[in-house]
Amino acid sequence: MKTKNIAITTALAFFIIFPLAVRSDYYQHIMIIALMWVLIGSSWNLLAGYTGQVSFGHAIFFGVGAYTAGLFATKLGISAWWGMIGGGLAAMLVGLFVGWVCFRLRGPYFALATLAGGEIFRLIATNWESLTEGMVGILLIQTFRSKLPYYYIVLGLAGLCILTIHLVMKSKIGYYFVSIREDQDAAESLGINTTLYKNISLLISSFFTGIAGAFYMNYMAFIDPHIVFSLHYISIMAILVGIVGGVATIMGPAVGAFIMVGLQETFRSAFFGLAPRWTSEAHALVFGLLVIFVIMFLANGVVGDWAKIKRKVFRIKA
Amino acid sequence: MSKSYYRLFTAFLFVVFVFAGVSQALAVKVGIVLPLTGAEAKFGEIEKRSFEMALDEINKAGGIKGEKLELVIEDDTGRPDVGRSVVEKLITKDNVVMVGGGYSSSVTYAVAGVCQQNRMPFLVNTGAADNITSSNWDYVFRLNPPVSEYAGAIQSLLTEVIKPKSVAILYENTLFGTSGAKSFEKTCAKLGLNVVLKEGYESGGIDFKPVLSKVKQLNPDVVYMISYIMDASLLMNQAKELKLTPKMFIGGAAGFTMPEFQKNSGVASDKVISATLWHQVLKYPGAMDYFNKFKAKYNAATEYHGAEAYAAAYVIADVLKRAKSYKNDDIKDALAATDMMTVFGPVKFISYGAMKNQNKVPTYVVQWIDGKLELVWPANIATKKFAYPVDWLKTWKY
Repeated sequence: MKTKNIAITTALAFFIIFPLAVRSDYYQHIMIIALMWVLIGSSWNLLAGYTGQVSFGHAIFFGVGAYTAGLFATKLGISAWWGMIGGGLAAMLVGLFVGWVCFRLRGPYFALATLAGGEIFRLIATNWESLTEGMVGILLIQTFRSKLPYYYIVLGLAGLCILTIHLVMKSKIGYYFVSIREDQDAAESLGINTTLYKNISLLISSFFTGIAGAFYMNYMAFIDPHIVFSLHYISIMAILVGIVGGVATIMGPAVGAFIMVGLQETFRSAFFGLAPRWTSEAHALVFGLLVIFVIMFLANGVVGDWAKIKRKVFRIKA
Repeated sequence: MSKSYYRLFTAFLFVVFVFAGVSQALAVKVGIVLPLTGAEAKFGEIEKRSFEMALDEINKAGGIKGEKLELVIEDDTGRPDVGRSVVEKLITKDNVVMVGGGYSSSVTYAVAGVCQQNRMPFLVNTGAADNITSSNWDYVFRLNPPVSEYAGAIQSLLTEVIKPKSVAILYENTLFGTSGAKSFEKTCAKLGLNVVLKEGYESGGIDFKPVLSKVKQLNPDVVYMISYIMDASLLMNQAKELKLTPKMFIGGAAGFTMPEFQKNSGVASDKVISATLWHQVLKYPGAMDYFNKFKAKYNAATEYHGAEAYAAAYVIADVLKRAKSYKNDDIKDALAATDMMTVFGPVKFISYGAMKNQNKVPTYVVQWIDGKLELVWPANIATKKFAYPVDWLKTWKY
């Protein structure tokens, strides 16, 4: 228990000091994106990892959050920062609807329904030009020139999200979630209102993902339907972050986010310009291999199988 | 012993610092944002090669006031969010003095927003959507004409030769596609043509048969397509398979002028016409030279995207030579004062209508004839006579 506290304190101290020590905007940017993925990955994990409802459509909530923030600025003329609350709430509202439709289905059918949902939202955002500007997208001017405010905002959000999930999972509700994942019919027979608790899980998950979307709008200051409703870059990425880090562990998605964002940038820049250009073509291949590797050898992700990694790789006996 | 070791170490440090200093003092860094991977990689490749060719020549001719010009070419992967972070990296980490490149409209628009906010001069190569130069940004300059002007030469060809009554417009659902389709629709209204269908398709789509069958049913005189590269090839291949035979297939530049379009589509590309912004036979100094040099160096044909990039490198060099200093505002002022001749034609950034810092470029029509991209319109400078009317089934060897 004590070592755990030390680890948490060290990690917190590291993240608080990081942007003060590393002044480069570039590295701060990568950290901001990684922390944003901590937020999304953890939210996904609550629904998919703990409650067992694997979502292939988290881009829905991310996009709705982002567009809420963007439309606040372009249509209502108020600051896009209001979207940090509004985006979360709008995503919850959409979450209710998605839950109403998709929770009638189980397992793979649920996953497919959410996948279709994501595509539907992307098409709506693309074609409803009078509201969303379609593929022109929404371009805002950033509030801050410095990265520091964004960094601490997203750090706070990621921390809040992890803490919330930690508390939820320690509460009675958390046990209900896990029981639904393990056996929905058994949970039902014990008198658990599974539909209600699945929806609660979805609402918390969509709320934080929506906030992440709103943050993205504020930070990147440009969105279009293909970016924020992207199946590949948002929905699938959320799954990868969860799987690589460790499904149904508190810190798993956080670790996964740093691994995935780090890998993505390493490949995009062709190993920071050190390797030949073609290596950046290989990123999809490497992502694929990584997922296969993780599923075969580390089914519980880096965090879930940490003891195994310690034993096998570092030859440390527990 | 330890003393000499210490000396050696000092000497080593000295050498390192000198080299660090020298390499910094002797190169002017300019950032270039291009799609080197992803669906638009072919456009990125032809532009990157042209940039590098021009860079070699510029540096061989003495560089910029005795300093070397260095292009930091970064991959935007065709995604606006990546483009955004890439240009931030160029500005803050690489300390570039200005930014160039910009291929797809979506990416260019996002990058331009960052440049404007950071007061970083940005010379847009290709990104064609109107809003890139109609957002009243004073640090953004564009070599390429806005997409609303792409159909200029096509327009006169339509009224004088093809004389169609109905048009179907197909476009990729991207910023470039939608803005191009909208402005062509306006052109059609102006010419009194009946737009029987205006339909966008998803980027990355591979099955165009449903939309093409719809076109076939409506039987328009002209099919106008605004597409990047794979979609352009697939559209024509599948039109051939469906035996869709309008009077003419017209491409709105971009994918339709690329050598890969002809390679992928083979006979299906034959006799297809496209708007273009450049052709090697135009009477611009060095245009033909550039075409031949490119062919010799890379063993591949080049077209307007490449010419643009090649010209852009020379504009950048010219701007940096004229700039009072490498401060952002001095470079911006030098860009605004640009008035030079390039392989892409005369370059001058003017403001007209809603446009700001926009280069005026006349447009032309090219036609794929026997695997070669021939200039067919305006007729007085054509390299081959416009092949029309076309018996498509015979062209497709049915």
